[in-house]
Amino acid sequence: MAEVRLLVIDPAGLHARPAAKFVQTATRFTSRIVIRDDGREADAKSLIALLGLTIRPSSEITLAAEGPDAEEALTALAAELAPYVSAAG
Amino acid sequence: MGLVLVSHSGTLVEGLRDMVVQVAGDSVSVATAGGTEDGRLGTSAPRIAAAMRSVLGAGASDVLVLLDLGSAALSLELACEELEPEERARVRISSAPIVEGAVLAAVQASVGASIDEVMAAAEGAATMTKFAGS
Repeated sequence: MAEVRLLVIDPAGLHARPAAKFVQTATRFTSRIVIRDDGREADAKSLIALLGLTIRPSSEITLAAEGPDAEEALTALAAELAPYVSAAG
Repeated sequence: MGLVLVSHSGTLVEGLRDMVVQVAGDSVSVATAGGTEDGRLGTSAPRIAAAMRSVLGAGASDVLVLLDLGSAALSLELACEELEPEERARVRISSAPIVEGAVLAAVQASVGASIDEVMAAAEGAATMTKFAGS
């Protein structure tokens, strides 16, 4: 399973607009993609699940993907989140 | 796939439409029917029917309707009776909370989901976590 770790820097956390864009991008890929925050996990293709994580500023999140286009999906998703995150230490 | 937002208040559904379009993008058509024909708070069956027809007529295969409270349901029932059977067959009605349901449904619709999937996304709004902690 491919993974990327990111630190949420947006003062509003991962709010509705970026979350919706994230889901729209994730849906383009066939891989199973999840987003993890503080031991909880959400399906990256479900806005309800993603908003349910209530990802806050300074959270360290992990995107994980498994499937034929996993690497490509993570690259696209990390790019989508770029304005709201930085690389996690 | 389109949405119709039914409320006692025109201001409420106009604002909600702005929010839905900003979050989900403009690929999903959203029509509103808020307030009465003379601009008061209330619901109007003809306005609801017109909103449903505008979405169906704009090329949407199906329409999901979300509504606010009380008599909105009665007006919506009357509006559905005004539709032709082939129009009515393309209309689904969600009991989801209107704000969360509209946003979730629109995002689901924007990724090309079926009406059943869009309906399920809206229904999920009733139980979603909005505030972690208390």
